[in-house]
Amino acid sequence: MTTLVSNPVPRRNNRTFRPLRRIPFYIMVLLFCIVTAFPVYWMVVSAVQPVKYSLSYPPPLFPRAIELTPFNDIFKATDNPDRVDIWIGNSIILASITTIICLVLTIVGAYSLSGRRWRGQAQFGFVLLMTQMLPEALILIPLYATVDHLKLKNNLIVVGMVDTAFVLPICIWILKNVFDTIPKEIRDAALVDGCNRIGVLRRIMLPISAPGLVAVAVVAFFYSWNEFLFAASLIGDKKLYPASVGLASMISMINVPIDRLLAAGLVFSIFPVIFYLFVQRYIVTGLSAGAIKG
Amino acid sequence: MAVQTRAAVEANRPVAPPRRDFLPYMLALPIILYEGFFILIPILQQFGSSFTSDVIGMGPVKWIGMDNFNRMFGDSKFWNALRVTLTFMGFTVIVAVGLGLIAALLMNQRFRGRSIARTIMTIPWAFPDIPTVLVFFWILNPSFGIINVVARALLPWLEQNPKWLLDINLAMPIVVSIASWKAFPFYALVTLAAMQGIPAELYEAARTDGANRWHLFRYITLPDILPTLMLLGVLACIFSFRQFALIFLSTGGGPGRVTETLVIQVYKTAFNSFDFSYGATIGVAGFIAVFAITLVFVYLQRVRAADEEG
Repeated sequence: MTTLVSNPVPRRNNRTFRPLRRIPFYIMVLLFCIVTAFPVYWMVVSAVQPVKYSLSYPPPLFPRAIELTPFNDIFKATDNPDRVDIWIGNSIILASITTIICLVLTIVGAYSLSGRRWRGQAQFGFVLLMTQMLPEALILIPLYATVDHLKLKNNLIVVGMVDTAFVLPICIWILKNVFDTIPKEIRDAALVDGCNRIGVLRRIMLPISAPGLVAVAVVAFFYSWNEFLFAASLIGDKKLYPASVGLASMISMINVPIDRLLAAGLVFSIFPVIFYLFVQRYIVTGLSAGAIKG
Repeated sequence: MAVQTRAAVEANRPVAPPRRDFLPYMLALPIILYEGFFILIPILQQFGSSFTSDVIGMGPVKWIGMDNFNRMFGDSKFWNALRVTLTFMGFTVIVAVGLGLIAALLMNQRFRGRSIARTIMTIPWAFPDIPTVLVFFWILNPSFGIINVVARALLPWLEQNPKWLLDINLAMPIVVSIASWKAFPFYALVTLAAMQGIPAELYEAARTDGANRWHLFRYITLPDILPTLMLLGVLACIFSFRQFALIFLSTGGGPGRVTETLVIQVYKTAFNSFDFSYGATIGVAGFIAVFAITLVFVYLQRVRAADEEG
């Protein structure tokens, strides 16, 4: 290892043709992947195999049989009020409200940050950053007091508006980064051609940034989808529970069979996992290049 | 008069002066109003409520001065929550950012199956909080959890299964592990992005000079990604500070109060003990802490930005 190699070329050949040396490396990667993936794997296994196997000791590492009835059961209200389909419907409504409000404000906010610098822009960025950093729980009490006082509890629109306030900063950073990648020449050319700046936004920036807008929509949608604290405090009516609160209420009940519980958890997780993986690039650059740089 | 002076100055300029540009302000205004309404007003309400008998905006209030704060400073539960928060924060930051760094180093290599491994390592980050709690509940179930099989294999002298999340010594390490499992992929992705920005020629040149892997890491990779790592560290502090659902649903702050962080305590004070104005007071303490951490974050940002430009 420590021999001095003055010519890099043979050294590189060495590395390519000696795969055995990489075995420890592969073991490390494998170990990492197993530890990372196991909880999710275990959730799937325990949800799809008949519950008697899950409760045996030691439980089998691979499913012995497949039984998908719990996935069916959670959508039918037979013996309990846990209607996962109603909760998921509420979640879709709530998340759509957040997404719509958030998209409108994000486009406006990102456009204001992406042009020439203006006085107060740094302060504006700081306000956004503070909002992004603020723990939700720290302003829950006054928000709850106001919502309760105005008799606005059990209202999905209110929860969606509150969620928007928290997810907006990261959405703005994501879209601003996308806007910043559009060459200035394109914008200038449109201005010269007689487009005003709102026209530039509408006709040039937004069509080019379509993937970025999708990323913003995904982030906003699933922030609301996953959000628990506000939904749990501001919604008391079981029929209006979004799925996050519904699932949490199922966890705290002791009589729900484990396979059904895990099936509900899987149904709840599958959409965010797929969509997040799809747009992760935008989120990472949004946070690392945007929010981190400020 | 000021307008006149400016006009006079501008008239003397050889080129046309730039028009005062209102568009960015018009665009930023809705955001400021929105965040002001949903974030700033509640924060002010919160600060106000810490000096009153009840929460402002809920009904009639009475000014009680510093009573709430005096009570808080003499409250051992508050100091406990502060200690728990710092412990949770410290360990989660070290474990999650550390794992993120290791994962990024692994993913920065070329190997077969890299994109699959990368996707697998990203899943926990995309996995929502509540199903995370659910699956760890199941894994850590004292009777049926698969963790018992592992524990008995590793520690054959165990007489009975540990109570895991209900064990006063195990609850905190477990909560830290769950939070790190969920958080490390994000830190790995950001660190990886920083690593991939390092020019390959640097490594080539160093290899030519006889540097080994450790040298490459110690003298090229690490210095280059250090600003990013520090920023991530501060970001991780904030993320663990605000962590609510994961802790609340997995332990509820217990057993005893060993996992009762500040945000959990704020929630419980208000919604379990219905002591809203005292809860708001603890919230003010939390707010000041977050503000301080954010200032550190902004400072590090500046350092990093200056680093990149210089």
